[in-house]
Amino acid sequence: MDRELLIELGLEELPASWLPTLTQQLSETLRKALHDHQLPNTESIEVHATPRRLAACVPALTDRQEDRDETLTGPPVSAAFGPDGMPTPAALGFAKKNGVEFAALTQVETAKGRYLTFEKKTRGRATVDVLPDVLTQVLRTLPFPKQMHWDAELHDGRGELVFGRPVRWLLFLYGGRVVPYTISRTSLAASVRVQDVTSGAVTYGHRVLASSGRAGRAIKVRGFDEYKKKLAEHFVFLSRIERKDRIIRELDGQARKLGGRMLLHQSAQAEALLEEVPDLVEYPGVVAGAFAAEFLSLPAEVLTTTLIHHQHFFPVVGQEGRLLPAFLAVTNTQGTNTKGIAENAERVVTARLRDARFFWASDRKVGLAARLPRLETLTFHKKLGSYRAKADRIAALAAWIASDVFGQSAEVAAQAEEAGRLAKADLATDMVREFTELQGVMGGIYARESGAPEAVWKAIYHHYQPVSVEATANQGIGHLGAGAVTWAAVSLADKLDTIAGLFHAGERPTGSRDPFGLRRAAHGVLRILLDLEPLTGLTVRPTLDSLIKRAVKGYGDGSDDHVMSEAAWTDLTAFLRERLEYVLVARGADRRNARAVLASGTTRPVRDLEANVQALPDVASSESFRQLATLFKRVRNIAKDGSADAGDAERGALVEPAELALLAEIETRGPVIDRAVATGSGYREAYQEAAKFEPAVAKCFTDVFVMAEDPALRQARLQLMKRLERLILQLGDISEIVAAE
Amino acid sequence: MDIEMGAGTMHPETFLRVLGQKPWNVAYVQPSRRPADGRFGENPNRLFKHHQFQVILKPAPDDIQDLYLQSLEACGIDLRAHDVRFEEDNWESPTLGAWGIGWQVLYDGLEITQFTYFQQAGGQDLAPISVELTYGLERFAMSLQGVDNVYDLEWAKGVKYGEVRLRDEVEQSKYAFGHVPALGDGAFADFHRNLFNQYYDFSKALLDSHLVLPALDHALKCSHAFNVLDASGSIGVTERTAYILRVRQLAVAIAKAWTADPMEQGESHHGS
Repeated sequence: MDRELLIELGLEELPASWLPTLTQQLSETLRKALHDHQLPNTESIEVHATPRRLAACVPALTDRQEDRDETLTGPPVSAAFGPDGMPTPAALGFAKKNGVEFAALTQVETAKGRYLTFEKKTRGRATVDVLPDVLTQVLRTLPFPKQMHWDAELHDGRGELVFGRPVRWLLFLYGGRVVPYTISRTSLAASVRVQDVTSGAVTYGHRVLASSGRAGRAIKVRGFDEYKKKLAEHFVFLSRIERKDRIIRELDGQARKLGGRMLLHQSAQAEALLEEVPDLVEYPGVVAGAFAAEFLSLPAEVLTTTLIHHQHFFPVVGQEGRLLPAFLAVTNTQGTNTKGIAENAERVVTARLRDARFFWASDRKVGLAARLPRLETLTFHKKLGSYRAKADRIAALAAWIASDVFGQSAEVAAQAEEAGRLAKADLATDMVREFTELQGVMGGIYARESGAPEAVWKAIYHHYQPVSVEATANQGIGHLGAGAVTWAAVSLADKLDTIAGLFHAGERPTGSRDPFGLRRAAHGVLRILLDLEPLTGLTVRPTLDSLIKRAVKGYGDGSDDHVMSEAAWTDLTAFLRERLEYVLVARGADRRNARAVLASGTTRPVRDLEANVQALPDVASSESFRQLATLFKRVRNIAKDGSADAGDAERGALVEPAELALLAEIETRGPVIDRAVATGSGYREAYQEAAKFEPAVAKCFTDVFVMAEDPALRQARLQLMKRLERLILQLGDISEIVAAE
Repeated sequence: MDIEMGAGTMHPETFLRVLGQKPWNVAYVQPSRRPADGRFGENPNRLFKHHQFQVILKPAPDDIQDLYLQSLEACGIDLRAHDVRFEEDNWESPTLGAWGIGWQVLYDGLEITQFTYFQQAGGQDLAPISVELTYGLERFAMSLQGVDNVYDLEWAKGVKYGEVRLRDEVEQSKYAFGHVPALGDGAFADFHRNLFNQYYDFSKALLDSHLVLPALDHALKCSHAFNVLDASGSIGVTERTAYILRVRQLAVAIAKAWTADPMEQGESHHGS
């Protein structure tokens, strides 16, 4: 018979940012634990999380494990009997190991001969007896971003139980009855005030509203329906969707009352906050507060950052889109004293805004350029010197990108240089020291305030962007206007300088560790290069290789191109290749196609690589192209053997009709491919042209033996293969598209 | 404690007592001096010196959050009429080789307490786990008294915080930022560098003589000298890292010496 399983872990407040993922993971770990314990469940597991609880319900779980029939194989029959016909020790040992008499064993015929076997039947255990092991597996495998010691242990032979937060109660019911379970406390801690956590049939409601702050009244429940109902009565919205809906409704209502609306879709920060607040509360309410209108003279970025980032409060905008001197706070209570809460919240906001106003006033007394010397005291990296030195490198690199790569006038290059030099100066301002998330933005604002042209201040303002690789993601870089070109130059320069420098210093990302954000920096570079035209209107096609080489040069004294060690350079190019692959795949390319195209290296314009990979799916599915891809592997193998330089095959030396036909094909179709690679467009035609090689290549392999005895002939044939390889490799190593994933 | 320190955590009753296995409960007020937070008495909530009410419970009781909330009620906060929340805020002190997991406690959006389960101190893994509650007394009092400016707090009946503390804040801030015109160029930094070095060497000597508590006192003096050097902009970044490392080395060595002492090994539930 199927019965309901209900588990609730009562926890001290979990970090809000964990909950969405953790809910999912709870479902997965429980499903796996049930499966691993022969308790299949076909129905979906319902999971919920609030800051103080993780709950899971399996509506119908079988009350007994499946019986298992297994055939265990023992020694071969040939080794099972002695000359006297009696069982050998090996055969008896096999029987003993399985706890049966020799006579109970069976035999089976296999390809390798006849073997002794034992038909093992395992009777499934009652679910209630297995569930403790299931929970142990869940507690052991539930992944937390950060775990803590809390003097707890399990009796599963593994000892200490580290966990996301201390477990304070455990509701563990199967078919309405408590499943016995204990999380023990270590002998060092166990005492009157530090007790084992034992499973029960009780839960607890809202921390304050349900219990007035005392340990709280235990609420008895027998099943999931009652559990949800009782929690609702005790001021807990179990469902995140309900919490979020309620918050949105209240926010909208309160904003309207203030004569404004929520600043949601224009602000990524506000949207992120809206995703966070449902996981900070169990019983959400919204309180409106106000601040003095005089603070509206602060830049909007400072106001919204103060409210959203520092206080988790929502700004409100008026009908014309301007900020109102008001905010909305999501609280973990709904009630009578909204005025008292609002007054306290207003006091905090006012204090923060006063700080900000103090910084705003004092920062503007000193120009950005005058702050550059102060950057001497800020280390960029201990082997790479200060931000002062970085500022100079960004300036030089940005100027070079603007003039030499983007082909801009000396005036634009000078603006890029100035923006590059000032880009980090705000790190020395009080505002950024206090509101680090405003770096770049503040510098841009201060530059604007001091009368810098748009091309300069916008380049500073946005130079940390972009942080996402998707072509559709625009995080505020939609309004670049006259700053677009200088922005691209400075943003590229900053990121390239960071990547080049940190690889030079031996700091490369490993596994999940990327403390300097090099992957994000590389993604930013690639995003700009891929979307350069839509972002800036520029049609140039820079290569990653030329850019990064120039950035590396920035770390030398100018006398020598070999700034970086061979090993570091190898690491760096491998890293960039891997990032290119990641970004192309993230933007929709098939991984094998991306690998095929990237085999041609980072020396091609980044935009071309994407155009190239986008053209592949059309031809990659055609049979003739897939056959060519398979043949290309042979071409590469043969071409690799030859020491021949790729060059014009000596027509006179080739004799077989099939090889002469292939040479003719190369000469006819080659130009189409060459043109696509040279111009960065027409890849589709190039691939269609390449696909037509297939019959000629196939025939050549059938009719011609490349490694002929005659050295001249062999040389000519190797050259022919090399030439074909070189031609197709310009597009990519197409053998990758038929490689096993 | 009557030695300058940045936080009650550095106090021996916390830093040393959370090490090892012996149970320990303590509560005390600790004046906390943070030179870089000095604002010349001009900022309504930032101070060169503020006061912390520091609580350590080892091992951490199961109902510690409830006990804490009851302490708020005892101070006159009506929990049901306000929004009190525990929001993730882990704590770390590189100079102490210490870190913990925990929250900032928000009272209607105001951070009033840091709540931490210590995981490591002096570079040692801790067992059992201690919980630390650090109440910011000025913040607390401001919200209880409904005051926007710390200097308007009622210190005692008819006496304002500003009357008692303002001049101290102004002068100490000037000192902390090195505004000492009577000193020649570099003299301010030299003096504190020398202090640091002397305290450092002396702390090591005390430690070598198995005088662990006096060694910690002198490590705290090092730490404060470093904070003044840092606030006054007297040291570069590389040097800064080196100073932090030296204080940390002292802290780790002191922690090690403390737990190695036989007096700290006895009387636990079970030795291991």
